[in-house]
Amino acid sequence: MKVRVDPERCQGHTLCSMIAPKMFELDDIDGHSSPVSEEVPADQESGVAEAVRSCPEQAISIS
Amino acid sequence: MRKEKNGVSAEEVLDETDRKNNRYHFDRHTPEYRHQFEDITQEMQARCPIAWSDAYGGHWVAAGNREVFELARSAEYLSNDHDVNHERRGYQGITIPPPTNVQIQGGFLEMDPPEQRHYRQLLNPYLSPAAVARWVPVVDEVVRACLDEKIETGRIDFVDDLANVVPAVLTLATMGIPLKNWIIYCEPVHAAVYTPPESPDMPRVRQRQIEMFRDMFAQLAEIRATPRPGLIDALARATINGKTPPDMELLGVMALIIGGGFDTTTALTAHALEWLAGHPDQRERLSRERDTLLNSATEEFLRFYTPAPGDGRTISADCEIAGTRFKEGERLWLSWAMANRDPSVFPSPNQIDLARTGNRHHSFGLGIHRCIGSNVARMVFKRMVIAVLDRMPDYRCDPDAAVHYETIGVIQGMQHLPATFTPGPRLGDGLDRTIETMQRLCDEQRLGEPVTVRKAPADIGGPDGSATEG
Repeated sequence: MKVRVDPERCQGHTLCSMIAPKMFELDDIDGHSSPVSEEVPADQESGVAEAVRSCPEQAISIS
Repeated sequence: MRKEKNGVSAEEVLDETDRKNNRYHFDRHTPEYRHQFEDITQEMQARCPIAWSDAYGGHWVAAGNREVFELARSAEYLSNDHDVNHERRGYQGITIPPPTNVQIQGGFLEMDPPEQRHYRQLLNPYLSPAAVARWVPVVDEVVRACLDEKIETGRIDFVDDLANVVPAVLTLATMGIPLKNWIIYCEPVHAAVYTPPESPDMPRVRQRQIEMFRDMFAQLAEIRATPRPGLIDALARATINGKTPPDMELLGVMALIIGGGFDTTTALTAHALEWLAGHPDQRERLSRERDTLLNSATEEFLRFYTPAPGDGRTISADCEIAGTRFKEGERLWLSWAMANRDPSVFPSPNQIDLARTGNRHHSFGLGIHRCIGSNVARMVFKRMVIAVLDRMPDYRCDPDAAVHYETIGVIQGMQHLPATFTPGPRLGDGLDRTIETMQRLCDEQRLGEPVTVRKAPADIGGPDGSATEG
């Protein structure tokens, strides 16, 4: 599984990092999210999938 | 379409009828809207997820989740501008109807980019998750003191004695306003929302608002003359889109921060504590499973109670969005509260499920205007609720004594929430002494600095509240 956060869509709601803190890091200055790595380890897949469902801006995609 | 000399053509009349054929008399400022919220939401989502209401000179209302989502994120066709000086297109900001008593731009929430973006870039380093986390020790101390004031008596009003106090004190701390001034700010901010315009109390509320604005203006002048860190310092030094903003604009931004920081978090906390009192098994579960449940519970309370139930916009160019054709200049109400109850996104939307998943609620808005204080709100809410669960675990609310705002057109709030509980021991100083101590820490440790300058959390030192050296 690969994960991507669209920086144009992300508005810093921070739900992804609450749900999968090991997979999403928040910018110190504006709280916008980016994936820690594009590759999602197997034990993080369900958390990332839940982050996708929970993003208010629908900014996270997986492939 | 060609305009007739003295009005509109027949085609235009037909087109108007066609565009606005989904009609619904929507008036969110009536008590009926609060009482029948679930029925109205269901009916609008089933029949007219985007409707034309004849209220307040006519405006669109978006009630469906998909519709609100698409509209809110179409920044190129929506304007938040409140053109108080009639310098642009005369748009009326985010309030429907626009306020009649004061004509002041509501900070960057009533601006469009690029100015709006400049303000957010300026203030984000004070309000990001990393910035907000630094304040936790201060918030915990203020919460402790609020509870200590009441813990021996077995009685508390969760609104007056806790949820009004902590957000106010922290908001002032982040701004760089002396903490003890929370008394000047607290009542008028809440009362201005819940007092009906025709109330005999309104002149007194207005007078208190004037006193508050006087203090805001004095703080701005003082910080400009003798800088101290905080949001006001950033504003006092700001260059926005190449210009130094006029003081009235800066006061509007300060009013936005205060208005956004106070009543909303109060409303969320009061409603959550009231619901938990009515569901003691869920309260016990939340306390027991807080490590895994507190985040999702917070989002669920946000979704269900949507403290700020919506925002107005003005259509800035003719467009078609979510199947509806809009015309430039028309007003639109984006109902976060109704979008949050859409069964197509939230199964059993009118039930509270503390462990709800896929909870992409719209309570902080969507798109470029996402609530800039959302991280503050969540943190303060969580610290207050957890402290109550720890120190007053058996509290009971008297349903007849709880006072909800009569209408939910502006804020879905509460005025009073009295409760009783098994008394316990005090842990430290009372509120006034604690606020003095926290003021000293703010000054000594320059806690109001942006996260770009100060990364470390506030150091409140030992259990006696005295800060450690270093």
